Amino acid sequence: MTATRNVAIVGGGQTNWGERDATWKDLAQEGGKATFDAVPAIGPENVEGLFVGAVQPERFANQTHVAPLVAELLGIEVTEMTARTELACASGQAALRYAWLAIAAGQLDTALVLGVEKMNLGREYMPEMQSSMSNVLDREFDGVNGLAAPPFFAWYAQRHMHEHGTTREQLSLVAAKNKSNAAKTDFAQFRSAIEPDEVTESPEIAPPLHLYDCSGITDGASGVILMSEEKAREVTDTAAWITGSGQSSMAGNSINNLPSFSGWPQARKASQNAYEQAGIEDPLGEIDIAEIHDCFSISEVIEYEELGFCERGEGGQFIEDGRSRLDGDIAVNPRGGLLGCGHPLGATGVSQALEVTQQFKGEVSRNRQVDDPTTGLIHNLSGSGSVHSVMTLARDPQ
Amino acid sequence: MTDTTDPTDGDAERERVSVPSKVELPRLLDFYELQTEDQTQIHEFYDNLRDGRLTTTQCCDCDEIHFPPRIVCPECTGDDLEYVDLPDEGELFAFSEVRDGLPLGLSEHDVPYVVAVVDLGPVRLSGWIDNAAYSDLEIGDAVSLKIVEIDGPTDEERVFYRFEPADGDAK
Ligand SMILES: [Zn+2]
Repeated sequence: MTATRNVAIVGGGQTNWGERDATWKDLAQEGGKATFDAVPAIGPENVEGLFVGAVQPERFANQTHVAPLVAELLGIEVTEMTARTELACASGQAALRYAWLAIAAGQLDTALVLGVEKMNLGREYMPEMQSSMSNVLDREFDGVNGLAAPPFFAWYAQRHMHEHGTTREQLSLVAAKNKSNAAKTDFAQFRSAIEPDEVTESPEIAPPLHLYDCSGITDGASGVILMSEEKAREVTDTAAWITGSGQSSMAGNSINNLPSFSGWPQARKASQNAYEQAGIEDPLGEIDIAEIHDCFSISEVIEYEELGFCERGEGGQFIEDGRSRLDGDIAVNPRGGLLGCGHPLGATGVSQALEVTQQFKGEVSRNRQVDDPTTGLIHNLSGSGSVHSVMTLARDPQ
Repeated sequence: MTDTTDPTDGDAERERVSVPSKVELPRLLDFYELQTEDQTQIHEFYDNLRDGRLTTTQCCDCDEIHFPPRIVCPECTGDDLEYVDLPDEGELFAFSEVRDGLPLGLSEHDVPYVVAVVDLGPVRLSGWIDNAAYSDLEIGDAVSLKIVEIDGPTDEERVFYRFEPADGDAK
């Protein structure tokens, strides 16, 4: 689709992420306050549309109908649209996408997008959390095999190594890069830089994947304000303009209906769709920052390939050559990714977009600022990798 | 005794209300579906499995073979489907081993266990690989069907499929 009006992410804020002594409602309030505090010109009274990314509040917090709950907690009288989006791990980006469309279409001028997830229920209740995660696949035929995410993504790692010769060391380089970036990110769950060797020294969760190959179980909330061009110019000089948004879904969620266990054709299609809208012809040359879905180290390797940063099968070499580092050809996951920041499902996509926005503004904490970035990308996969969502962002509107 | 105020006095007078001391695991949280005709329209899949046959649906209109079994063909939207036998031997396409972190409803099972993508030819499906350790297996290894009975919080007879190394050597 071609958007009819330019839409900007003007700013936002987030809670600290991690194992938080806080309820879902606490997180929503903290995230909302952080967002409004970061955009002083906008308060609850200005929000016409509210889009809440939340994956499993019914299971993790025994709460449904969460968007109106957020409106109440934050004092927002929504005049145009209230929605909660659920697209598993891409729920935050789905919320961004709906807000963008609503503004682009002229339905509203100002939206709050808030992603919230409460996942830590106490160590003794981890089996309940794992059960919720297993329900992302077809519960009757796949979830029943205990398929929470780690063994499932272990298959991708095994097949990518088998088909393309990707090495265990290359996976470790991804994890070390992202966790070391997260050491520069104040809100991140895991703020310790690690060496690649430490990845295989961490417990083996689902071989070939170790603990440090896996993103965390994370509580957190992240919010951004989206505005039409006319309104955005009244509140800020620098914003992240949405230049493209692509999504591709296959008719497959179950194991039998996934076309590949070493690639994600849907990520390729979604990114090509977004690149076309944004006029991006050479993603590696033109994109400065990519916040992509490293739910596991292997995911990032596959995404280098499918997002067009390198050829299929060469993702391992891409990290080995240092091309995705902060000072490389394209800064991939400067925030620290899901591996470093953690992965509060519904908040992740929102936080990725916020990172790109803050990078454009030169506002990121400490020394992870990318040199003069003008073009950014966020990517999320959902569930079994059956759906991929890609959004391109630019410091200057088209 | 002086009449100093005891801060617990108020508590002693409060009425106590109770919630159940134990909430039973609802059947909803058990991963295995109820399998009979009054519960599911793919009961024939489970009936066949109970008889020792792993089957799935094939569309009579467009010949598409589905897995999981369906009641509507996703290829042509037809609903004239028949159950066909799947091979009871296949190859390991990918596998890993769950070391910890079992979901609620499965948490009594022993870890580690191997979980794999098994290529049966017409379809690929996920499944447990019993009687095997991760380090013993390679991509392409032959595995054969086994059927297990499920004990649990319902009296209804339930079955499910698993696989094991085809050479039959318990390792
Ligand atoms: Zn058909």
